[in-house]
Amino acid sequence: MIRIEHLSKRYGDTVAVNDLDFEVRPGVVTGFLGPNGSGKSTTMRIIMGLDAPTSGSATINGHRYRELKAPLREVGALLDAKAVHPGRTARNHLRALAASNQIPRKRVEEVLEFVGISSVADKKVGGYSLGMSQRLGIAAALLGDPQVLLFDEPVNGLDPEGIRWIREFFRTLAMEGRTVFVSSHLMSEMAVSADQIIVIGRGHFITQGSVDQLTASVGGSVLVRSADNAALRTALRASGAVVEEANDRALTVSGVDAEGVGVVALAEGIALSELTPQRASLEEVFMDLTADAVEYSSKKEPFDHE
Amino acid sequence: MSDVTLASVTRAEWIKFRTVRSTIMGYVVTFALTLGLGALITTAIRGHWQTMDPLSKLAFDPVSTSLGGTLFAQFAVGVIGILFITSEYASGSIRTTLAATPRRVQVVAAKLLVLVSVTVVVAEVVVFATFLMGQRIFSGVVPTASLSSGSVFRSVALGGIYLTLLAVLGFGLGLILRQQSAAISVFTSLLLIVPIVIFVLPQSWQTSISRYEPSALGHAMMSVTPPLDMFGAWTATLLLIVYVAIVLVIGVALLLRRDA
Repeated sequence: MIRIEHLSKRYGDTVAVNDLDFEVRPGVVTGFLGPNGSGKSTTMRIIMGLDAPTSGSATINGHRYRELKAPLREVGALLDAKAVHPGRTARNHLRALAASNQIPRKRVEEVLEFVGISSVADKKVGGYSLGMSQRLGIAAALLGDPQVLLFDEPVNGLDPEGIRWIREFFRTLAMEGRTVFVSSHLMSEMAVSADQIIVIGRGHFITQGSVDQLTASVGGSVLVRSADNAALRTALRASGAVVEEANDRALTVSGVDAEGVGVVALAEGIALSELTPQRASLEEVFMDLTADAVEYSSKKEPFDHE
Repeated sequence: MSDVTLASVTRAEWIKFRTVRSTIMGYVVTFALTLGLGALITTAIRGHWQTMDPLSKLAFDPVSTSLGGTLFAQFAVGVIGILFITSEYASGSIRTTLAATPRRVQVVAAKLLVLVSVTVVVAEVVVFATFLMGQRIFSGVVPTASLSSGSVFRSVALGGIYLTLLAVLGFGLGLILRQQSAAISVFTSLLLIVPIVIFVLPQSWQTSISRYEPSALGHAMMSVTPPLDMFGAWTATLLLIVYVAIVLVIGVALLLRRDA
């Protein structure tokens, strides 16, 4: 369980994270979604005790990271896959990490085997592809068999096979009852890999919920095809709905649900050939949500200086 | 299984220290420079001894002269110390290190333990070997020194301590500056450029200031009878320790305050 309480981080005048407040629960994969530069990595670095918050706190199972006695056995993290001395081999990198937290050496071999880089473990990390580095980073995160795991943009650089592997892997970790916190700027990725999603934009909390909840929060529209589009459009507008021309002689109606469209059509005596409720795609939801956050910030700033 | 301790972090740092090529290369260069230049200097002096003026002969110190190569080897050990910390910042692995060891003072203490214990062994071996080689080259023509004399033994042993302290100085500068090129520039400036700057000052200031330079302290440490305008060997050692300690304290304070 990760608990973020009123967390803020400023670098000089720049606000990287502003009053974030949420929980990441065990047993599910929690996605941390936001555009690039929205404060995801900063939040993760604060959770890991690397950056100090300006105010508020981040705790893991009730403890601040710096209080943990053997952190690698409680929290595993992949923050930056390329953050390994390029001249050192993967095996030696992991052996040093294991030694620092008194993790048995045989565990190094286990995690190397698990992520599938045993055969290149004695090669210098500088020669690794991004995908191989990601696997090494995952191995390092798993070294202490921790209950809490953080992954910052883990999918970057992975090939399709690797992406499928990592999704199943997150799922497995969550099913084992672990806390899995995964950041991404890709809504499509989160939609398939995360159970719960926390959305932030420009350091501000935007919303939190399951994929379904997020989609439902942004109202959908209804696609209508009829014998007399022009008359239907007039009638729908009169009832207060927003009507737009869609492709192929259809109308996109919002502000009223499918049932409402049916009632209006019946009253006008117009035969419908199609009536399809449309859900907003997750991508649209994301754009919608974060566009608001961007507008909010840019509108707010001039007033701050008054 | 138990917690993160200074011993466990030291084991980790020891693995990290010996598993990169730059460390090994640094010590090889230290060896080659001290021993090789020592051979060159002593051979040259042996060749010119008959024609040297009496005053130079009077001031001749067989110990510090044979250890002249340390003036160059000091850069090699300095770079070892610098790289031990700046390479972590260059690759970003400092974050992995600090996540594994959140008590940052432990990281510095462990790195220092590894750096000092390895460097002191290598440096003592190289200075004693160079000294013995130098006296062999001198023997028969130039006056020689023997380790059976307490002050000679002290001068040679302090040569190794000087190199070790400079490795720690490099490490401390790396901790403060976090960037390899910046740390190497400052390190070289302290050893080479400060003396030149002082040389521009009025004569009366020069004599009182120049003995505080790190390289002048090194010369005093390695001299059987340090020149009159220099500090005594032990005072020089103590001063150099104070310099290094100040740099380290600043480095640690910054490490504790800064975001990684």
